[in-house]
Amino acid sequence: MGTADLGQFRAGVQRWCSAHVPAHWRAAQTGASQEEFISFQQAWFQQLRAGGYAVPHWPAEWGGGLSAAEQVILYQELAAHDAPRLVLGFVSIHHAAATLLAAGTDAQRRQHLPAILDGEIWCQGFSEPEAGSDLASLRTTARREGDTFVVNGQKIWSTWALVADWCLLLARTDPAAPKRHGISYFLMDMRSPGIELRPIRQATGEWHFCEMFLDNVEIPAAHLVGDENAGWQVAQSTLSAERGMTMLELAERLGHAGLSRLQRLCRQAGHDEAHPAVDPLVADQLASFETEIAGLRALCRRVVERHEDGRAGPADASIVKLFYSELLQRMTGFGADLAGLQALTELEKPASSSWESGAWALDFVGSWEWTIPGGTSEIQRSIIGERGLGLPREPAVTS
Amino acid sequence: MSADLTEVREELRGVARDLLSKAGAAPDWQLLADAGWLGLEADAAVGGSGASFTEVAVIMEELGRIAAVSPYLGSIVLGAGALAALDPLPGRDELLADVITGRQIVAVALATGDEAVTEDLSPFSIEASAGRLRLRGSAAFVPDAAAADWILLPALTASAEPVVVPVRSARLTIEPQPVLDGTRRLARVTADDLDVSAGPTWHPAGDPAAALRRLADRAALAVACDSLGLSHAMLDATVRYARQRQQFGRPIGSFQAVKHACADMLVRLSIARELVEAAAAALAQGTSAAAAEVSMAKSYACSAAMDVTGKAMQLHGGIGYTWESVVHVYLKRAMLNRSLFGSPAAHRRRLALRYG
Repeated sequence: MGTADLGQFRAGVQRWCSAHVPAHWRAAQTGASQEEFISFQQAWFQQLRAGGYAVPHWPAEWGGGLSAAEQVILYQELAAHDAPRLVLGFVSIHHAAATLLAAGTDAQRRQHLPAILDGEIWCQGFSEPEAGSDLASLRTTARREGDTFVVNGQKIWSTWALVADWCLLLARTDPAAPKRHGISYFLMDMRSPGIELRPIRQATGEWHFCEMFLDNVEIPAAHLVGDENAGWQVAQSTLSAERGMTMLELAERLGHAGLSRLQRLCRQAGHDEAHPAVDPLVADQLASFETEIAGLRALCRRVVERHEDGRAGPADASIVKLFYSELLQRMTGFGADLAGLQALTELEKPASSSWESGAWALDFVGSWEWTIPGGTSEIQRSIIGERGLGLPREPAVTS
Repeated sequence: MSADLTEVREELRGVARDLLSKAGAAPDWQLLADAGWLGLEADAAVGGSGASFTEVAVIMEELGRIAAVSPYLGSIVLGAGALAALDPLPGRDELLADVITGRQIVAVALATGDEAVTEDLSPFSIEASAGRLRLRGSAAFVPDAAAADWILLPALTASAEPVVVPVRSARLTIEPQPVLDGTRRLARVTADDLDVSAGPTWHPAGDPAAALRRLADRAALAVACDSLGLSHAMLDATVRYARQRQQFGRPIGSFQAVKHACADMLVRLSIARELVEAAAAALAQGTSAAAAEVSMAKSYACSAAMDVTGKAMQLHGGIGYTWESVVHVYLKRAMLNRSLFGSPAAHRRRLALRYG
């Protein structure tokens, strides 16, 4: 697609955004009940779908088909128009779809991809109380009984599990095999008997996560993804597959709503009539953040390009995740510092927003949701050192 | 950026790295001329190859990688860059042709400190008195002035119009300024009521003030490229050392404290590279955002180079602190680069001016 065509595409997205991004959605989503949040998310998803923008990264035959260059433009414009984010459907349209497209059967794809377009919600059942950073040591078991697997164990940190229809589940099918070799990947119907959910309230006061107790939950063998005992490879290949574009979206958000909110905050008169923007220290910090965001956005575009060309670097995903999450933490921390006591009076942040909603103190607290999940910053640094730079692994502990 | 152009640049990078790795830390100027690197940007009419600043940026990065002693910054980034930005008056093309064949070295006595980022760039003034044109002023830390045959002096006329006066270096007072970084040649250039009536006075094409500003931005970005290159050399050296050096019965690179520090270096340099390449493309295309992009690249890449070279010294341990080791050479070059053509803080100040 030529530059002129891309220009037309951008103009089309801009027109669509002007017509469809709901006015005042932030105010409406501040203090929204769970029901209001879900119905807002589902309605916004259907609007995007009608516009052809809900699942741009999917293959055309399943309802997507935008080129990487078009996706970049789409996310840039959604960010520039401060559109709500697809928070609720994130796992569904990214991880679930990537898994089904990469390793699912035709029947699984036909069942779930159209359903996801209709609003089917997915959660992830990977982490366990004793398997966080060391995910491969997970203990939940799936015992084969004829055409069925019987699952027992406990999962944790499952985002939106309480409202999810389906779950991407990792469970051990060969307890005798070495850690990574005895794990299988399942699609679990959340209506199955034997699933008990307990919400976990997080540091921000919100309830996004759940603990999941699995007591003899039966999963038909047809819901296995990939080969039995090959679940680790399936999970590895799909976990980072989508990271380039999803990180690009977040980087664009940081560069638009995030930076402009921070600039506004810096311009607001302080308590002592001082004008923070003229404070050289504040201006210096702001210029620093602007620079880092520009670098991050360019790096995300580069990672997407390299991924498209099949030249993805082994540490690309970790580099952007680590840099984004720590930049977010520093930036929201700066915002909270600058906004001072006033920021601490904001007890709720708007749902459906990005990670820098403008409720700086809460955003700062929430930033650990980026430096911990999805591989902590420490794990990312080890990956970058080992896969990106070829440094030796730590010797395994033998006991 | 088209894939073809990227490919051409990567090919140039490969050739440059290969050639420079054999050439030693003070590569022969004629070698660079024969490789065609002195005329990358110049028009074919004067013997150049008509490429752009993005190719010059590649050479600067590779020169930084070997911490080269070379007048490339003075004579090509600034000298040839200034000549190309002037109205094509008589004498200009001949001098430019000589510069890109390596026969003549030309330095530009531009302001090099923080004042060069947001304030005046012309350290000299030119005035008519008693029928003679007289030039006076002084510029400090001028790259490669001592080796130059000609110095281009940016000067303000009595009516505050920026002009450029080419002067044979023998007619000026040029005092070398030794600095801790032993790989750069800087000098103070002074003109003390010099009679320049006989020589030409050249005018920057278009808006003269903007042309000088672009020249300073070229220099700032070239220094950022240099810092990017030297940082990568130090990251490579540190990773090599951490894989091979054994303590407590295992390579030190297997310890998280060391590994994570190396990871942080790579992350910072990944961001720095994006900023530098974006700014080089913006400068080459002459976009209106180029100045801001240069300030981002200069401030970030030069700060990152300080972190990386400092960490390289730390992770090399005692051996890295010795005079024999090259780490201090790189650390000092990074320190010089940080200050030359505007400190990170000065460049962030320029960015902040846009916030209003």
